[in-house]
Amino acid sequence: MKKMTVNFMVNGESVSVEVKPYETLLETLREQLHLTGAKEACGTGACGSCTVILNSIPVRSCLVLTPEVDGMEVTTIEGLKVDGKLHPLQETFMEKGAIQCGFCTSGMILTAKALLDRQKKPSKEQIIRTVSSNTCRCTGYKKIIEAVTAASRKTERE
Amino acid sequence: MENHKIVGKGVVRSDYLAKVTGEAQFTADIKLPGMLVGKVLRSPHAHARILNIDGSRALRVPGVKAVINGFDGFGIKWGVFRYTQDHAMVPTDKVRYVGEDVAAVAAVDEETALEALDLIHVEYEPLPAVFDPVAAMAPGAPQIHDGYPGNINVHVHIDVGDVEAAFREAYIVRKDTFKAAGEAYAMMEPYAVVAHYSNGFLDLWMPNAGPHVRAKALANLLKMPLNKVRVRHIYSGGAFGGRSEVSPGDFVTALLSIKSGRPVKLVLSREENAISTRQTHDMIAAIKTGVKRDGTVLAKEFEVIYDGGAYSSTGPIAASIPYYVYEEAYRFPNVKYDGYRVYTNKGIRGMYGCHGRAFLAGNEVQLDMIAQDLGIDPVDIRMKNGLTVGEKTATKSWITSGNLAEPIGKAAEKAGWREKRGKLPRNKGIGMGCVAMMTGFPMGFRSGSSCSVKLNDDGHVTVITGIVDNGQGNESMAVQIASEVLGVPLGDINLINADTEITNLDPGAYSQAATYVGGNAVKRACDDARRQILSIASEKLQEPVESLDLRDRMVVSLQDTGKKMPISWIAREAFFRAKPITGVGSYIPKIDFDREWVSKPFGQMAGTYSFGASVAEVEVDGETGKVTMPRFVTAHDCGKAINPMAVEGQMEGSVQQAGVATLTEENLWNEGFLLNPDLLEYKVPLACDMPEIETVIVESHDPEGPFGAKEGGLTVRMNAHSAVACAVSDAVGVPFSELPLTPDRVLTMLEREKEGGTK
Repeated sequence: MKKMTVNFMVNGESVSVEVKPYETLLETLREQLHLTGAKEACGTGACGSCTVILNSIPVRSCLVLTPEVDGMEVTTIEGLKVDGKLHPLQETFMEKGAIQCGFCTSGMILTAKALLDRQKKPSKEQIIRTVSSNTCRCTGYKKIIEAVTAASRKTERE
Repeated sequence: MENHKIVGKGVVRSDYLAKVTGEAQFTADIKLPGMLVGKVLRSPHAHARILNIDGSRALRVPGVKAVINGFDGFGIKWGVFRYTQDHAMVPTDKVRYVGEDVAAVAAVDEETALEALDLIHVEYEPLPAVFDPVAAMAPGAPQIHDGYPGNINVHVHIDVGDVEAAFREAYIVRKDTFKAAGEAYAMMEPYAVVAHYSNGFLDLWMPNAGPHVRAKALANLLKMPLNKVRVRHIYSGGAFGGRSEVSPGDFVTALLSIKSGRPVKLVLSREENAISTRQTHDMIAAIKTGVKRDGTVLAKEFEVIYDGGAYSSTGPIAASIPYYVYEEAYRFPNVKYDGYRVYTNKGIRGMYGCHGRAFLAGNEVQLDMIAQDLGIDPVDIRMKNGLTVGEKTATKSWITSGNLAEPIGKAAEKAGWREKRGKLPRNKGIGMGCVAMMTGFPMGFRSGSSCSVKLNDDGHVTVITGIVDNGQGNESMAVQIASEVLGVPLGDINLINADTEITNLDPGAYSQAATYVGGNAVKRACDDARRQILSIASEKLQEPVESLDLRDRMVVSLQDTGKKMPISWIAREAFFRAKPITGVGSYIPKIDFDREWVSKPFGQMAGTYSFGASVAEVEVDGETGKVTMPRFVTAHDCGKAINPMAVEGQMEGSVQQAGVATLTEENLWNEGFLLNPDLLEYKVPLACDMPEIETVIVESHDPEGPFGAKEGGLTVRMNAHSAVACAVSDAVGVPFSELPLTPDRVLTMLEREKEGGTK
């Protein structure tokens, strides 16, 4: 099958990839760009482990076709550090113990980042509703909610 | 020894940085030069004879490098016990469940592999199948394996005291039957394997809860020596008991790599993960209990039937554990237990962290009903019958620390039990569940763990241990223990673990052994290195060993704060003496190793026991039967929390996986077909489904455990379902009979209550 050329930004760098027309963004990120922080856990958009930020919106990269993101900006977990410094969410996920196996962590952090980017100080209900788009099997979510709350306080101070 | 520097502190776990940056590598992330893609052809039949397998057309597809089936193996069957060796991993005689691995392909890419799969021709002769364990036991049922009459895979029989006499003496005798559907493990990481056979060595990566157990199984199946089968370290996306044993995918991928001479990666889809890796047991539990007028339990009689699926797996263990975690919590002088694990034409089953909910919740709700008839509070009847240190379980296992009463008391107090039980409005309820968990149980010579530790010339430390981490924080636990003993920061310690080439035997993250057994070995190895450091320092500083301590990378005198020396200097001095600082330590729990699950179910079962009690509060919608759970309190005796934050995390996760699951989770079947194999149909609880959780850590300081530690939270996984089931039964006013408590089942309970109840 004829491949397509797709140009887009990933974590601030422009990339050009040759993809099958039906290739998912998740596959392109993992197989071609070696960005394996986005995980495939269900492949059906149910769990959010493959979440990346497309422009400013969190999306399931297993449901996005790479040709769709031409000209757009993608942020993955690998792009969250700024000048070698962790994002406040990365720090609070560690400090609050919001991680166990870590398979859902990238997606969870990016989902929360998209929320904090558009709303500086979300309520607890908003945080719960937002992280309810992602599945975690290990933690019971309590410490995830605490971590997002703590990060919102940190970003507010900055 | 309560004056710890870092043990007992909620430090940031050593694995976290890699996990928040995306650098943590899981099996599916591995890329090796020349690596091929593996794909598996699966059985469409629940039960069928294999007449012929023809892979020749598949092999002719350009890009296909290997095609295998069961005949490429050595005809060896695996089983955890000698008497349960029934699983060839890829069958040659017949298929026994839908989704069973029949053949596989390795090709240069996924499309080619899938194309080739379609060209493998398998000729089957379908056979009558059986899907229900009771039907499978009936005369005339299809026989799934030769030599197992009635399809009974394992029968565990325990008989203590005189049950019949005790029932005659009892004031109340009550018998009930409870059922529960099996749940999905639903680990977030679908199963994946990378195998690389080269130069006579087989390297393997896969999420696993016991690298040594895995290597042993594969060495047997592949007729290779153990030192040439090297299971390597990799991050693991959850296990929960489901990744303890060898998986067909391991064998398939190994064969593909051996045949192609290239590395092969097999990544299962979510659906394949559900149908072809291990599942949990559906079960039916008949429970008869006799008590005295004052609530003292006199006798218990059980008949439990476990739907074992197509193969043995951990058969006798699975058919025993629900009973034992109950026996370890409560005193009963007379007991008869018959556990039958029965073959059916359903997927392979394994142990689950929440294994046994019908049995455990059934016992607890029945105790509530008995308490009600006697006019005793459920908390009081539990306190009265709970075991305590110095006592023996029914099958003669000493309790060496802790007791059930303390977590019961703490959970009840925090939950406001006395103000609530029996005083809540209609359709609101509160319930309690209790268990005790064996920590480090008999696995023969694999029950123990060893560790070695070396001090590098810059004073940094390398710790080598077989401990494996599936997300619960075992690696960080080992690092924290080493940091405490050797007085160096966490960041100065490099952990090498879960690699069968380098590390010695370890039981794995199985039988709650990681901290108690593996952590103990780490502590002993570090103690050994510490002694060597202090011996040299004592000479150099002219101070007796007893007045020296290790802290902040220094040897310091406790008498004279001016006297100190960097640990790195000692390391170098040791090299000059040609005796580099190298500590070794091992630990094996004090278990009766003559004890056997079927032939001799008596004697010391485990090194120690953790105790736990959980309290759930629920509200039932009388119209729809939907249950909501606003609050959940749980208390767990972990001996000593090495990292309280990690222990809390385990407890909170258990509330989700066992507690909320009791309302929602079940595998649904149409004969041999799993109807909800993916995460759209199988609803894993989300943040919005969770109650407010409060955790209470109880520390009973076990005399053997490292710094007094036992295990980090499994009691919650085994009693949260009981708490929820008891709370719903309290809210409705009749005992539940079947789990999970989905709205349809709760409506049936409400109907029964309206009709006057069946109490």
